[in-house]
Amino acid sequence: MNKIILGITSVMVICLIIVLVFYQNSTKTPPLKLDQNEAEQNQSDQNEQALYADQTIDYSLQNDKLQITYDKGKSWTTVPIEIGKLFEGDFSGNKQELIDNSYILSNNLAAFLYSDGPGLADNKIILKYSLDQGKNWQDAVVTEHYPSLRFRKVNFLEENFGYVILSGDRTMSQEMSNVFVTHDGGISWSETNSSNVTRLILDGGFVDENTGFLSYGIINPDEPDLYMTQDTGNSWMKANINIPDQYNEIFVQAEMPFKEEDHLAVYINQGPNGDYEGGKVKGKFLSNDNGKTWEFSTEVKPDETE
Amino acid sequence: MKQNKDKNRKIYGWIFFFISICFFCLQMGYLFMHNRFQVEYSDNRIFYVVNIFCVLCIGLGIYFLLALAKKTKLIGTGILVLFMIVNVGLLFYSNHQIKNIVSLSPDYKHVLSIKENTNTGDAVFFRTYFGILALPKERLPYATTEEFKVEWLANDVAAVTYKASDHSIHQYIGTFGDRGGGGYYYVGPSIYGHWKGNDTEVISNKEGISVLSNGKKETFDWDHIVQFGTLAVVLTANDQAVWTISLNENFEVHSAAAVPPTGEISLYKATMEKTEPIILNFKSSNL
Repeated sequence: MNKIILGITSVMVICLIIVLVFYQNSTKTPPLKLDQNEAEQNQSDQNEQALYADQTIDYSLQNDKLQITYDKGKSWTTVPIEIGKLFEGDFSGNKQELIDNSYILSNNLAAFLYSDGPGLADNKIILKYSLDQGKNWQDAVVTEHYPSLRFRKVNFLEENFGYVILSGDRTMSQEMSNVFVTHDGGISWSETNSSNVTRLILDGGFVDENTGFLSYGIINPDEPDLYMTQDTGNSWMKANINIPDQYNEIFVQAEMPFKEEDHLAVYINQGPNGDYEGGKVKGKFLSNDNGKTWEFSTEVKPDETE
Repeated sequence: MKQNKDKNRKIYGWIFFFISICFFCLQMGYLFMHNRFQVEYSDNRIFYVVNIFCVLCIGLGIYFLLALAKKTKLIGTGILVLFMIVNVGLLFYSNHQIKNIVSLSPDYKHVLSIKENTNTGDAVFFRTYFGILALPKERLPYATTEEFKVEWLANDVAAVTYKASDHSIHQYIGTFGDRGGGGYYYVGPSIYGHWKGNDTEVISNKEGISVLSNGKKETFDWDHIVQFGTLAVVLTANDQAVWTISLNENFEVHSAAAVPPTGEISLYKATMEKTEPIILNFKSSNL
């Protein structure tokens, strides 16, 4: 027994001495390493860095340029937009990735939504797009005058019909939000009527050319606030969501509805402060009248919604 | 009696031996994570402290468990003492090379960790895990001069004031979490309105944020307001920090209508001298 204890302690002491020497050497060079992202950022300050693509169609914001690839990074095309304009406005998130939904990258369409102007007021909102994988670029003015942008989203449901949803001019927890649609593939844009809601917009979109939704309430919502149109935005009305009593003030934020079989479905999540069943469980609601009324269907675990 | 004494010695011996194995495993685990994932101790000196405690426990464990010959005892003790002395020396020496700035939050839940390379003035903010482990998060934008002042403005907001090599004053705000998953996204617009504390006022509006203190008014436009996390902004002028505004724990913004925010915000002056944060309450939406 004594020999075993002595053996173990000897091994431990020898290992500690080796570890000490090893540690001293490893902390000498370099003493302070940053995480990969920042290290890459620093490196790109000094020299042009090789670009890397995760997917066949991908983008890169490295080297202070927006570039896109259609062959998994073998060749890159520069998009003629200043990077800062892609993040203009009321945005303080990560600028190493494009803002979600502010761009489209597909085989047939590359489009980037950006704001051009002084920042706080009177900006031009432009959609720069290419139909030939970045060889030629066109600018479509979505709106000539817009205040400081907060939310932005662009999407095309089909070749000709697309929509842009913007919000801005935020003061405390109020802001304006606007919907623009195109019927000619993005060449010209027209603004729809407003929903007249001034809460902060969470998400929005169309499920077909006529039927669209706007979901409001970001900070401490206590019930879903979903507006819908069935005439491409000419008129908006509040959707009637019948939440069972036991889910009252639990399912509070409506996500973007989607088509499912012969009806529409929407997930309603618990918002930023939800703690029911861990806070990630959502309620699935169904509508058989194209979004006017919604009935509870089932609880959905987070991994089932993806 | 002697049997009892022997039994106690065995128990102490095994306890120390077990503790030494725990320290050893911790150190080996740390080394693996250090090499694999860049994990560091939140304070580099912890490495040497763990070493010292480990061999101390080894020594005590053997002392209580085994009856060694005098010569073996002397050699063993010599090795362990020498090892401890080397570690104590490195503990002080390493802090001259990499200065550790470590501070525990008032509620003991968060640890602020900044490590400064004293040769180059490079300082890096570390995000800490379980109190003692840390990963590098962000490099402080200005070369530092070993002068740091840490003040916790809330349990999850620490203001680090430091002097750059050109003697300018800067502030880095370490924020820990975003209070409930959502946070406030944009601190400036969240505090739109007129705030008042002891002889001090803050006005946040479309043009920027104004601070009235000691009869002096300073206005900072949005281009000179830098947000940290989702809980604080630093107001800057001439590339130097002037004030920090942070949201206190009781601060809350309401989304339903134009209801003013409730709770308090803290205003903290960027200076190396000792200052206390000023607590401000919402006064009105009229700007």
